[in-house]
Amino acid sequence: MRIRDRLHSSDKSRRKVRRKYDEIKGLSITSLLDVLTIILVFLMKNVNMESTKLSAVQGIQYPSTITNDALLAKTGTTPIKVFTDKVLVGIESLSFGSPADLLQNAQKRSDISKYLELEAADIVKAGQETCLVVQADRYIPCDYITEIVRIATASGYTYIYFATLEDADWLKNYNVSSAQ
Amino acid sequence: MAYYKPSAMRQQKGQTTPQEPNLVPIMNLFLTIIPFMMMMVVVSQLALVALNFSQGEGGGGSGGGGGGNTKADKVEIHILGNGYAKANGFLGMEIREPGMDTKQIAAINKNYDYVALENAIKDIRARKANLIDITVLVHPDVLYGDLIRTIDLCKTNGFTQVHYTAPKVQYYY
Repeated sequence: MRIRDRLHSSDKSRRKVRRKYDEIKGLSITSLLDVLTIILVFLMKNVNMESTKLSAVQGIQYPSTITNDALLAKTGTTPIKVFTDKVLVGIESLSFGSPADLLQNAQKRSDISKYLELEAADIVKAGQETCLVVQADRYIPCDYITEIVRIATASGYTYIYFATLEDADWLKNYNVSSAQ
Repeated sequence: MAYYKPSAMRQQKGQTTPQEPNLVPIMNLFLTIIPFMMMMVVVSQLALVALNFSQGEGGGGSGGGGGGNTKADKVEIHILGNGYAKANGFLGMEIREPGMDTKQIAAINKNYDYVALENAIKDIRARKANLIDITVLVHPDVLYGDLIRTIDLCKTNGFTQVHYTAPKVQYYY
């Protein structure tokens, strides 16, 4: 039997049968597209255009706080960004000038006051609460902040928010001798 | 059954299997929109510290209502600046409370001692459990970061109604 098998296996005339492989199919994008559609819908639902007004701005070193007060519902917010060398007002980031102009330039103070009054009037007309968000560098003297708050309250803003970065451990990490 | 001339039959295209729609342009669009939207979602990492000026307090303050007893319990934290230090030889903070001695918290290496301030605020909280109002007076040359940290400590210790006042000061050397 073995000899017979050997004879069979050494038979060169026997036809070899190769196994057929399936054709390689192209990458199916449909499933990926499904996932992307779900993500897109989710993002569109969650994206809040109000938050773009409160985006962290490069060039400002925000102070850190433990507390984080939620922005009230139905508020129309007007951001004001106080850099060490310039002040930008409103959603359009209109250039106001330098922080020193807040105290020294009466004309510019009047201009910013008028602008904030118009903004506040628009917000009230839309049936919302007026809210000013101050985004200031932590090395700005409080004199400028006080002036901004004074102008804003005189222009009809009810709520003033100070933008910060949340850091629950800043006090634990605070070293008074090196003032980090 | 339709009849075609032999020449017309040659013009007919052979039937093919239905093609899948070309999804690549849609994918490109999505891959552009999604990172953009994700950038906007990440945006709101900023925290907020609120002050409410609806009560019309001079220089600012937060809402809440005035109980009849609030003036008697008015606690003030004065953040003194460098100008005050030059004129009076003391840099730091003062806590003024009716019926109590003024508590001074000296700055160390020209830095405000927030750990001592936290302890002082906790001490007030222990004595006046129901008090929620506190006033922060900030001198003009104090940095904004120091003001925010002081307000933050007040809020974390239960003084939810933080009033913000800036005194007009002049220093004579």
